[in-house]
Amino acid sequence: MKPEIQRVFSFYFFLKKKSSRSKMFFLLSSASILLALIIRFYQLAGQWTESGQIIFQNILMVFFLQFLIVILALFYGTSIVSEEVEGKTLPYLSSRPLSRASIIIGKYLSSLAVTSIMLVSTLLISYFILNLDRDFQLQDIWTIVRYALVLLLGLAAYLSFFTFLSTWLARPILLGLVFGFGWENVIQYFPGTTQKLSIVHYLKSLLPQYSSASGRLSFLFIRLEPTADWLAVLILVLISVVFLALAALLFTFKEYLVQD
Amino acid sequence: MSSIREKGYHHWDGQFLDRPRAFWPIARTGIKLAFGRKHFKLGYTFSFLPAMIYAAIIYISERLEDFKFIAQGGDKLLQVNPNFFKSYLTLDLLYFAILILMSIGAAGLLADDFRHKAVQLYFARPLTKADYLLGKAGVVIFFVGTLTLVPAILLYILKLLFAGSFAFFLEYPWLILSILAFSLFIVLFFTAFILLASSLSNNRNYVISIIFGFYLFSEILRGIFFVIFRSPFSALFSIAANLKQVAAGFFLVKPPYDYPWYLSFLLISVFCFLSYLVVKHKVRGVEVIK
Amino acid sequence: MTAVIEARNLSRWYGNVLGISDLNLEINQGITALLGPNGAGKSTFMKIITGQLKTNIGEARIFGEKVWNNRHIFRRLGFCPEDDAFYEELSGFEFLAGLLSLYGFSSLECEQKARQALDLVELTDVADRKVRSYSRGMRQRIKIAQAIAHDPEVLILDEPLNGLDPLSKRRIIKLIKEFKNSGKTIVVSSHILPEVEALTSEIILIHQGKIIARGDIYFIRDLIDTHPHMIRVKSPQFRQLAQTLAGEDYVLKMAFEPLEQAVVFETHDRDRFFNRLNEMVLTSPIIIDEITSPDDNLQAVFDYLVGK
Repeated sequence: MKPEIQRVFSFYFFLKKKSSRSKMFFLLSSASILLALIIRFYQLAGQWTESGQIIFQNILMVFFLQFLIVILALFYGTSIVSEEVEGKTLPYLSSRPLSRASIIIGKYLSSLAVTSIMLVSTLLISYFILNLDRDFQLQDIWTIVRYALVLLLGLAAYLSFFTFLSTWLARPILLGLVFGFGWENVIQYFPGTTQKLSIVHYLKSLLPQYSSASGRLSFLFIRLEPTADWLAVLILVLISVVFLALAALLFTFKEYLVQD
Repeated sequence: MSSIREKGYHHWDGQFLDRPRAFWPIARTGIKLAFGRKHFKLGYTFSFLPAMIYAAIIYISERLEDFKFIAQGGDKLLQVNPNFFKSYLTLDLLYFAILILMSIGAAGLLADDFRHKAVQLYFARPLTKADYLLGKAGVVIFFVGTLTLVPAILLYILKLLFAGSFAFFLEYPWLILSILAFSLFIVLFFTAFILLASSLSNNRNYVISIIFGFYLFSEILRGIFFVIFRSPFSALFSIAANLKQVAAGFFLVKPPYDYPWYLSFLLISVFCFLSYLVVKHKVRGVEVIK
Repeated sequence: MTAVIEARNLSRWYGNVLGISDLNLEINQGITALLGPNGAGKSTFMKIITGQLKTNIGEARIFGEKVWNNRHIFRRLGFCPEDDAFYEELSGFEFLAGLLSLYGFSSLECEQKARQALDLVELTDVADRKVRSYSRGMRQRIKIAQAIAHDPEVLILDEPLNGLDPLSKRRIIKLIKEFKNSGKTIVVSSHILPEVEALTSEIILIHQGKIIARGDIYFIRDLIDTHPHMIRVKSPQFRQLAQTLAGEDYVLKMAFEPLEQAVVFETHDRDRFFNRLNEMVLTSPIIIDEITSPDDNLQAVFDYLVGK
């Protein structure tokens, strides 16, 4: 199955690269760069005394964590099957010598690759804009790598869940919206174990500013009862794998009828 | 001898008769199709929940003595005044419900026509572009209007009925005009917003992403800019905040943000105008349109 | 010898609506046309044998193997769907090469095969244009190209001549016949009767999910004993001709077309009728200008069979 996944990945990576929608989403991701530039100019004008690191951690990460990865995963994930069904291009795939599971996994990986490029490139650029005047130490490189990895884990988990929705429902985007921007936001206000019923809880557990929120920006954060790092990573990986496996399984046995 | 035409649709080049409601068949069909979509009726019903709650509040406020046991300390909450109507028309839940409903029932208004190349079907008939756009807008106007203007007017009438006198009207004689004006303003905004989003793609999923993405992104921007600049003007980035600010101006109450409400009014008006230009251009971009 | 395509007790529902009902058929090498009105079950059958749909009852096999979820079969099968749907942002070449890459061909092979297929459908000149900019006919041809590019043994073509101009239709018909001559098995579905007649004589008539007739069109026609054959004879002495033949027992009915100087005969024994006609031509002064069979075509056969 591995060569089949690779073939599907290559084809769809090429397709998504060319797609005008990917360009639009890249533009949206670049909003973080614009924000970083605005903040930087404000800083240089002496109006902001917080360090670039603090600003990045506490402000831009809100944009990445609670908006960008969700909207990218939502659009790309829910489109994995629905765009083929609604676009009536599914016969081109299902009449090729490819296992149905490899179609889903290949498309998932291509979506993950494209969105990861959007995410990491804008993340790195906006980070460097905010921290241009500092001498970079290993610690700083580790910080940005850590943020990038956490966001990528989150992207993978959300994408996997939305891919599952795409194989299950005819119109997955609305439920995806309710989950991504409704449930994920509301559940954070719940204490105890209920918080753990969201993907964002584990992402925040892995980010230091959420685990030890204090100082002038602490009002931004809801009371988090963090999960241990290793457990949070494991759960996120599990979510990604389990929902992808479910999606692959469902797609293997389900038939899709075109409805206008 | 008449010219030989190739097969296909051609832009109508005959006479345009004076038909005052040429847009109505398009709007009527759009409304019927929206109701035919799965889950739309359920969503539409639930969207009236805030109105029902507010109606209950009006009832309780007129029967405070009977509800003394729950009204303790809650009499401020149960005050029916201009702020009450303003708060209904600026409820975040109501806006969210409108966006969900429009995503189900109206996201494809223009997108589906572009996808199925159906625009040329319209313009091969004696239909002007204004009729077409008005017909499509009619769908959004209908649903947003029934969730904002109609319940707000009914709440006002309920207040008068339950009060049993015109005292409320005499106390706030301009209120009914405020309700009408602001409801129309919201209807206009959402019409422009939904049609703009629908015109930007022929894929309904993408349109829904644009609708919610833009709305939520505006909120995030407001939050981020407020943290940075600590300025009330950061509210200008948020759709909901701008609508609340305008509402305060229409209902003559204290605005939530410390800047003139007409700035928000201007911003939203410019947005609506630009949306109209974009939509007009997009429909023009399809072949056969003159 | 097992047939290339087999269907046994094939039934498929869409909720309460019957798509196909207890279909049994075998398709061998050559061109077989599936003919029927919209909603007859042609597309349902094609979707089943190309792995788009499952069966409710029965099974479909290609080369003796089940179709559903059997990806190995698709290496030997090419499918041209009915819907006008593409990855619009790709050029014609990219579309073909991309789909070819899913077979595991190398980049060079993909390129070569894509160019070959484009050449066959005469789209070489527009290969680098986006599919979005193609005309209806070009889009149909690129769809056929993606079905043939990997040189499959079985071709399933759902309404392949839709949207094509007469010249393109002739080219595609010629192409399909060339595939047949190279030993391929081709199943074509259509509701355009003259084109089916031009393509093949092996026809399966489908109506309301059932096969109502199968075989050569003339063979099918002969089976219809309940419906007499109609033969139209044009002659300056049409009344004398009618008078002569009226006494024959195999002539059931006559209708005159005075303006055309023709008579339409109905007979249940074509052979005897033509033999007598030939005799008359040789022995009598009656001149015959034209002989046609108004109902000796697919539409008439179909109308008879569905009881119109």
